[in-house]
Amino acid sequence: MQPFEYANPGTVQEALGLLAARWGEADVLAGGTDLLPLMKDYVIAPRRVVNIKSIKKLGGIQKTGAGYRIGATVTMQELVDSAEIRKLYPSLHTAAANITSPQIRNMGTVAGDLCQRPRCWYFRNGFGLLAKDAKGQALPPNGENKYHAILGNSGPAYFVSASSLGPALVALGARIKLVSAKGTREVPAEKFFITPKTDAAREIILAPNEIVTEIIVPAAGRNTTYEVRQKEALDWPLATASVALAMKGSTVTRARVVLGHVAPVPWVSLEAAQVLAGKTITPDTAEAAAKAALAKATPLSQNAYKVQLARVAVKRALLAARRA
Amino acid sequence: MGGGGIPPIPYVYTNIPNKRIQHTSVAVNGSPQRAWRAPNNQQASYLTCCAIEDLAAALKMDPMEVFAKNADYTERPETYRKQLVKAAELSEWKRLWHPRGQGGPGPVKRGLGIGINRWAGGGHQSECRCTINPDGSVMVEIGSQDLGTGTRTVICQVAAETLGLPFNAIQVRIGDNAYPRSGASGGSTTVGGVSGSTRKATTHALAKLYAAVAPALGVQPGQLEAVEGRIQVQGDPKKSLTWKAACGKLNAKIVEMGTHEQKRPMGLTSAGVGGVQVADISVDTETGIVKVNKFVAVQDCGLIVNPRTAESQCHGAIIMGLCTALYEERIMDPATGLMLNRDFDTYKLAGIGDIGEIVVHMDIAPEHDSRGVIGLGEPPAVGIQAAVGNAVANALGFRVNSMPMTPDRVLAALEARRNA
Repeated sequence: MQPFEYANPGTVQEALGLLAARWGEADVLAGGTDLLPLMKDYVIAPRRVVNIKSIKKLGGIQKTGAGYRIGATVTMQELVDSAEIRKLYPSLHTAAANITSPQIRNMGTVAGDLCQRPRCWYFRNGFGLLAKDAKGQALPPNGENKYHAILGNSGPAYFVSASSLGPALVALGARIKLVSAKGTREVPAEKFFITPKTDAAREIILAPNEIVTEIIVPAAGRNTTYEVRQKEALDWPLATASVALAMKGSTVTRARVVLGHVAPVPWVSLEAAQVLAGKTITPDTAEAAAKAALAKATPLSQNAYKVQLARVAVKRALLAARRA
Repeated sequence: MGGGGIPPIPYVYTNIPNKRIQHTSVAVNGSPQRAWRAPNNQQASYLTCCAIEDLAAALKMDPMEVFAKNADYTERPETYRKQLVKAAELSEWKRLWHPRGQGGPGPVKRGLGIGINRWAGGGHQSECRCTINPDGSVMVEIGSQDLGTGTRTVICQVAAETLGLPFNAIQVRIGDNAYPRSGASGGSTTVGGVSGSTRKATTHALAKLYAAVAPALGVQPGQLEAVEGRIQVQGDPKKSLTWKAACGKLNAKIVEMGTHEQKRPMGLTSAGVGGVQVADISVDTETGIVKVNKFVAVQDCGLIVNPRTAESQCHGAIIMGLCTALYEERIMDPATGLMLNRDFDTYKLAGIGDIGEIVVHMDIAPEHDSRGVIGLGEPPAVGIQAAVGNAVANALGFRVNSMPMTPDRVLAALEARRNA
């Protein structure tokens, strides 16, 4: 790592005062499960690291109205251990439990999961977020792209969003609370993730001098997450689907179907939702919804298999929601 | 560039009368070769065992039968036949195996496959120094190393059993040039070397102790034995001294050397081992993901000093082989020549949840015991790709002919089959 200044503020206001107006100067440290590897690989080199784990009000899971408030620094393990989350938001529970490393679950936080950088190996090897060679040519399309995006990949971003909780939170209609020196704003989870157009930008709407303080999850009906992954041990998913359903009896009145790890952002499928509206979930309707969700997929040279995996994820998430 | 050496094919079934071998070297700009466990043998086993299973499928025969029927083409037909039977028993082959393509109704297909190994191994040149102190403490020093193979345990055990002492009475010192010279670990020759030198050094030291103690017991040194912490008279165990009391009779510490000579093993070690492995896997044909249900390894390895560490060696070798079959690959970027997956999140290795049930049966029998101690590091690492590759072929009804068998490759093979 490059040498850095370490700050340990006790309040959100103090923390905000330590951040900078531009990315690259200061970074927030929560669990550090992504920040430290990025720094050790010299992908980023912030001059100041701002630890926020000492700020008590950033923790905790509480009921709020009909929904729940999850503090930014709640660890994945705390989320997994919460009986209420498991009962009411199984899609979140599954997504967190599928991080099959107790070490990472014990350190990694919910906000950190949303803010983590992509796994794109060109980015991680120092070719920039938008992965270009010395001549400015995009590397993934003609390079090694088996783990890259099959949707939303017209460029210049080809990576997939690495967030485990993002797709489930988007499906649940959660809101992310952001605080800066200028005040507070709440952003729908769907709008939190953005596709960057320049190397200097990020994959989230968070400003460099802004902090995620909490996630607010509204009341939900049936919701599930299904992951397609190669290893049971710690592994990045190949494709995931999170679904949240409003039902009347066994009929779906409204569906939210969100694909994960297939696009630079959690990918909302209106097409799948349309197929399901007013129908019951059967193997046939689940299959039809899955097909519709991927109908417009534009795979790269090596990742066409992810189209099939994403279809399977949608189908199996829906069938699991039916059984729930 | 490391040279494209031809693998030893046909593997194990070396005496097939009619064969034609065609070998082509391919240059890849991927930097020089590195050490591997049983290099070239895994490929050889894969090529041979896959061909034999493909033959069995074409003949509509059970591959267990084909391997057994043709075992006369190997160097040790009866041993391999017995091991095939044992592997079949432990993998429940009779109950679970089916002809190719009959892997079950739903999208998840199950299959079994066979892999065979053989290895030379041996015992490398090794010197050991044994010290017995008047206070009864014992030290064994060898300039050897433990790569996780259990070398320390083996040295300790041979010393302890020779001297009739518990393990915790022996101090083992390895890993320093100050100690007597012993060979490098490679080629599966360490345990053979160090057990020989340790046996000799401790035997020589014990003889000196007998010489010092015999007068006190009123017998000749040759009438003594070391049993369960005592030096006693053979046939008259009541005439004995405790180990500590016996050492108390020493005027000075005993220091004795023992040398295992690679070229003159004296029956303590030899070369030549083998085994049979069976993989039991399931493939989800919707996702292309392969899961290991069970992996069975039957392995002979001469005189096994410590069955537990030997089994552990096999476990490690099998886990490594599963990684080769299912996960490991080096991904080089075509434009920049860079290795892209240089971290363990993308250079994938199996975790506990990925290895299924591993069953190891060390083939312990007088015919193997009589051959002395032989190294075990490499042989069990050889046949896993073959077994898993064959099991996937059995499950799907056709072969996925590229390793590792990642979901994209399995799905591509399934699609090619559908379009054919």
